[in-house]
Amino acid sequence: MEYELRQQVIEPRRHTFQHLIDRYGDKPASRYEEGSIDVQPTENFHYRPLWDPEHELYDETYSALRLDDPYTYRDPRQYYYATYVTARAGLHDAFGKTVDYLGQRDLLSRMPQEWQKLLGDLVLPLRHYESGGQLLSVNGARFAYGTTVEQCLTYAAFDRIGNAQMLSRVGITLGEGTAELLVSAKKSWIENPALQGLRRLIEELLVEQDWAVQTIGLDLADRMLYPLLYQHLDEAALLGGAGAYSLVGQHFGTWFTDHRRWLDALITAWLNDPVHADNNRRELDAIVARWLPQAQAAVADLADAVDALVDAGAKDAVARSTAELTATLTGAGLTVGGKA
Amino acid sequence: MTTGTPVKSVGVELQESSDDARMVIEAIQRDNADVVVSYLPGLVKVQSPGELVIRRETVEELLGRPWETHEFQLVIVSYYGHIGEWDDDQIVIKWDH
Amino acid sequence: MSKKLSMQQRYAALTRDLDWTPDYVDPAKVFPLTSFEGIKVHDWSAWSDPFRLTVDTYHKYQAEKDKRLYAVIDGFAQGQGHLSLSDAQYLNAMKLFIQGVTPLEYAAHRHFAQLARHFDGPGPRFAALCQSIDELRHTQTEVHTLSQYNKYYGGMHSNWKMFDRVWYLSVPKSYFEDAMSAGPFESLIAISFSFEYLLTNLLFVPFMSGASFNGDLPSMTFGFSAQSDESRHMTLGLEAIKFLLEQDEANVPIIQAWIDKWFWRGYRLVALIAQMIDYMLPKKVMSWKESFELYFEEQMLNGLFKDLEFYGIRPPMHVQQAIEEKEILSHQVAWTLYQFSFAAGFNTTVPDEEHQAWLREQYPDTFDKLFAPQWAKAKKIQEEGGRFFFQGLPQLCQVCQVPMLFTEVGDPETICQRQVVYEDERYDFCSDGCQWVFEREPEKYVQAWLPVHQIYQGVCGGPSVPEVLAWYGLQEGDSGEYIGSLDHKDWLAWHATAPVGS
Repeated sequence: MEYELRQQVIEPRRHTFQHLIDRYGDKPASRYEEGSIDVQPTENFHYRPLWDPEHELYDETYSALRLDDPYTYRDPRQYYYATYVTARAGLHDAFGKTVDYLGQRDLLSRMPQEWQKLLGDLVLPLRHYESGGQLLSVNGARFAYGTTVEQCLTYAAFDRIGNAQMLSRVGITLGEGTAELLVSAKKSWIENPALQGLRRLIEELLVEQDWAVQTIGLDLADRMLYPLLYQHLDEAALLGGAGAYSLVGQHFGTWFTDHRRWLDALITAWLNDPVHADNNRRELDAIVARWLPQAQAAVADLADAVDALVDAGAKDAVARSTAELTATLTGAGLTVGGKA
Repeated sequence: MTTGTPVKSVGVELQESSDDARMVIEAIQRDNADVVVSYLPGLVKVQSPGELVIRRETVEELLGRPWETHEFQLVIVSYYGHIGEWDDDQIVIKWDH
Repeated sequence: MSKKLSMQQRYAALTRDLDWTPDYVDPAKVFPLTSFEGIKVHDWSAWSDPFRLTVDTYHKYQAEKDKRLYAVIDGFAQGQGHLSLSDAQYLNAMKLFIQGVTPLEYAAHRHFAQLARHFDGPGPRFAALCQSIDELRHTQTEVHTLSQYNKYYGGMHSNWKMFDRVWYLSVPKSYFEDAMSAGPFESLIAISFSFEYLLTNLLFVPFMSGASFNGDLPSMTFGFSAQSDESRHMTLGLEAIKFLLEQDEANVPIIQAWIDKWFWRGYRLVALIAQMIDYMLPKKVMSWKESFELYFEEQMLNGLFKDLEFYGIRPPMHVQQAIEEKEILSHQVAWTLYQFSFAAGFNTTVPDEEHQAWLREQYPDTFDKLFAPQWAKAKKIQEEGGRFFFQGLPQLCQVCQVPMLFTEVGDPETICQRQVVYEDERYDFCSDGCQWVFEREPEKYVQAWLPVHQIYQGVCGGPSVPEVLAWYGLQEGDSGEYIGSLDHKDWLAWHATAPVGS
């Protein structure tokens, strides 16, 4: 008889929560919307933070970059927790299969010596870059204003620690099941001149106060580093008989494409804000002026060291991606190096 | 207030709903001498004086398949005591002092 | 062929060795928040995390948990599962939950992001990062679970706005904001230890068992699924306290004071849960008293605190009062909410005969003597066509922000009132515990956004009750008496047309 009860047609009183009805009308909302829009508290805070009495616990002025209504920004991937972890479970599962396969066939240690060295001395140390990226992103997860923005930063922070661990697994496999290469990679991160530009960049960003400066500063470096390591070198590896490098690199390339989508959307939202667009543009110009040259030089140093090992035209590739990045930024309406 | 218990007990609460959970409970009963099992809606409480061990091998034998100790996270609801050890082979809950 | 690292070695290699000491900038500027509270940490590497979770394992198991959970949510919604609840009254508990608990999950999500940034040690930072994202999971799974009820019942539609504005919700809000605005170590003791380890079982376990018993399969599933994450969070709390106590003896008195403060803050917060367990579940699982005895007295006082004695930690100050109150707490709070539910986002009513018989059985020493007469009086008024509501607004405690409803220890008929004058202003407190908390940090608690004061100051929509309720975002049927309410009428109509025996 249960069946007949279920046949009864009951008209719902409303199709979703009131704040979504106010924004989009009374129609069923997506899980992304119900889990993200208008979630963060906005008013009537009880106590000023002991660690920053100038601000409220949630405060738009934690950043110079502002959105009049933070929920005009939406993650184009529409990640909420369940869809996010499901996507990343797939990524890590695929990566795990790759690494297991590489390990079973000893494919990493069968790469040409110079590619092994490149991977061990120059790529593996970037697990620390990723770890720094986690700290930078998670600061935004706390201090960004509005759930849609901070949620992206939360996932980015978790992704960064995931990337660091993926690199660590490569190191363990290349080190034949030991953590020895991770130890030498850390030494390289601290001492190798080719990596000091990147380390310095991360450390200087860590003491920045504005989460948006941290986020964009890191992104500028990413946008030259990732294409170099996981696109350009991916192809060079195939030509250089180091197919195993490409098998690893593809997963980072896949992640980076997915990751950048929310950042492009955020920059677009800032630059099109009905109230803050002009101010946001000036602030972004200042961020680019401050951090792009440093990021470019840091990645170029790494590229020099890459070329010294495998002569893959890495330096030229960085020059090309810098030019592309500059064109993208100016195309979005920013001023780069005096050029609008 | 219960007083006069000679040994401080520890315990876990597990979801009742799956075969896996039932086998984990059986494994706990097998490997710990004096456990007390009681039921609440949707929930099974397992208490043990002093210490409670969940052994991978026992769970695997009961399930008839490989079982990682990480999978315990899919059935645990709560615990009291201190998780003194959680490695490939076993999980041990006890008080330290 | 590569050797396989053990879980422990793999975890160490993957998570623990990622830190380095910055030298392009001052390291103290990278981690500026961990020194001002006076806590001394000599060796962060002594931190142990028994879960040894790596990111790949995290995603694998969390994706599996959510797959199971959303299958239950979808199935229940497709089958109009809400019609098979024990009674629509049950949802009053879930209204309070989405208004008052779900926003705490969100607050924890944001706060643990800060801890994941600011602890100097990578071990606790990673645990905090996992907790931050877990808490976002709890926020969203709770909303997604309750979304289907929101379509058919009142009180859930504006939960975020209500959390920021409604009087009784300032109890949980101020609790969490108190923790978030404190330093990182105090907040860890507040949330991870006091809330997650000491009190969470008291909140979640009877409650989720209650959901199961009352036919609310999705809430039971999300609750238990969230609890499986919670067991990691509890571990963070326990590891944290042991780690800090072991690092330096000078930490002991600081931690003891935080335990004292946060036990009392947390205990006052769960007063709302106490009445939920005893008064809002149509089918009862266990009484507040019973769950307090089991989850607090037996497991915490006789277990945990015996263990912590080793470090020179004693049970929380004012704990005796909590024990004393277990016979009366839920009744006093329920009676208060009954009287003020005209301004709440849920409905209340006089417990029926069967319910009162259960209360009598659970509370043989207090129910008949102290509380049955109040309900009898209220019932009589209702039978004569009236409804007993308190005229006016309650006075709130400056610290816990619960209405001043608690009584003197040993004298359950005299309301406890404490006062302190600070900088020429008078402040009121519900208990010695709250007064003690205030006197430690008066400059903090004078800042409190006390909802009733704010109403009197005219910043809450206007001077009249309807204006305030509109400002709260409440809609027709959300408040007041349950019998004859919109939810009640709908429930009867839906079940009247159902075939007999279904």
